[in-house]
Amino acid sequence: MNQRTARFAPGIALLLLFILIPTALRAQTSGATLSGTITDAAGKAVANAKVSVKNLATNQSTDAETNSAGSYSVPNLPPGDYEISVSAAGFDTKVAKVTLVEAANQTLNVALIASLSLQDLGFPTAETQGNAAEQARLNKRSHMLQVHQRLGLITTIPLGATVISGFFAGGKTTSSTNRDLHAALGSATTGLYVASAYYAIFAPKIPGTKVEGNIRLHKALAWIHGPGMILTPILGEMAFNQRSKGERVHGIARLHGQVAIITAAAYGLAILSVSLKSGTVSKSAHAVIATFDRKRPLSANASTGNNAQTDGAQNVEAHRSPESGFLKGSTFYPD
Amino acid sequence: MNKKLLIAFLLLALPAIARAQSQWDLEKSTVTYHVSHPLHESEGTSHAARGKGVCQAGQCDFLIAVPVKSFDSGDSNRDLHMLQVTRGAQFPMVTVRVHLPEADLTSATIYCDLEIQFAGQTATYKRIPFQAVTHGNDTEITGTIPMRVSDFKIDPPKLLTVPIKNDVPVRVEMTWQRGK
Repeated sequence: MNQRTARFAPGIALLLLFILIPTALRAQTSGATLSGTITDAAGKAVANAKVSVKNLATNQSTDAETNSAGSYSVPNLPPGDYEISVSAAGFDTKVAKVTLVEAANQTLNVALIASLSLQDLGFPTAETQGNAAEQARLNKRSHMLQVHQRLGLITTIPLGATVISGFFAGGKTTSSTNRDLHAALGSATTGLYVASAYYAIFAPKIPGTKVEGNIRLHKALAWIHGPGMILTPILGEMAFNQRSKGERVHGIARLHGQVAIITAAAYGLAILSVSLKSGTVSKSAHAVIATFDRKRPLSANASTGNNAQTDGAQNVEAHRSPESGFLKGSTFYPD
Repeated sequence: MNKKLLIAFLLLALPAIARAQSQWDLEKSTVTYHVSHPLHESEGTSHAARGKGVCQAGQCDFLIAVPVKSFDSGDSNRDLHMLQVTRGAQFPMVTVRVHLPEADLTSATIYCDLEIQFAGQTATYKRIPFQAVTHGNDTEITGTIPMRVSDFKIDPPKLLTVPIKNDVPVRVEMTWQRGK
């Protein structure tokens, strides 16, 4: 460095200091600091509470977490309006607003209120905790009953065709073709019926479930169409063999037709029992019976194993009302 | 001297009064859901709801919970299926949280923002009106929550391949008692 430069060096240094020091000082003094303590309603410190400081002008957020003493500090905040949100596990979130001025050291203490829990309501823990195994059991049950329902509905097609073809399969002048067709349709019906019954019988049972509603009638009718579906093809086979030998159908085989009709009727009622309004099926059955049996009066309150006792009058009103029909307010049978 | 004592008492008592907490307990309830299908209508009712409310510093928090399996539609098969589609064995409770200003409790119509947890999902319903009638310490609250099946990611049950309607309104009738 030459003599001329050395003479000016102290002046240049002083000039630099006058420029740099104010800049540094401005950087240190413009940011505000927000700090405080988070406690519960009893004044106990809440550790690990999240403190979110949002500048309302810029929407920028700065997060902090309380230490074991419940204290937090958020430095270097530009002056302005802020929304402070404090949250912690087991506590309701609390929101406060604060205005920070330049270089301020502001304190904001927040007392959190403990959230109400299910235990506060008196529910036992066992009642509030989920059970994945039980859910899986319910899922399997629903799936199997869904298959049962679909197969049951599909079975009505060959069942109906079998009943119709039966009118052309009996008698002295019927051909073997008609009998063969009837037998084939009957076999198809039996096969589908057995498959549907399998899913219903082996669907998981849910312990502690009280059976109520139209499902009671649906299950009761199974005791009619179930044995009927076994007996009908047996009697049918006997009748088929007798006719094939050129004989008249005789003996127990003569009951094939009647057993088939009763079985088909019980099957149809079973489907209707879970499709129509509670009590409608039983009352319809009574109405049909009363039509053929003039000695038996039509009783509004009669029931056959469903909940008609509790809502019998209502059901009768719905049944007789021209606006409601059968389907309004019916039992919902899930697909 | 007496004046000074009175002022000192007020200075000490007022903060305590301001911090005073009031509590509400659910005395009885009827919660009824309504399911609609083009061919059927059905309802299920529960009387097993429990609830509590805490009011402090002008703000109130309420928690109401109902066991999913407590709903009875009169058909056990339907109720079991409802339990299955709503994942009721895995998430056995329906909980409702409400936060509102204490001053709103004196209105004849209370508008609530409801946070409902059901079937493992959380949905918020804003400004649901409830009618309030007060008899002494008891307040009767009635209203309908416009719940939707899709809000809770529930696969809607079907009948003959036709699903139920998405809207499942829930009618609520509650009697709350104010305690200390």
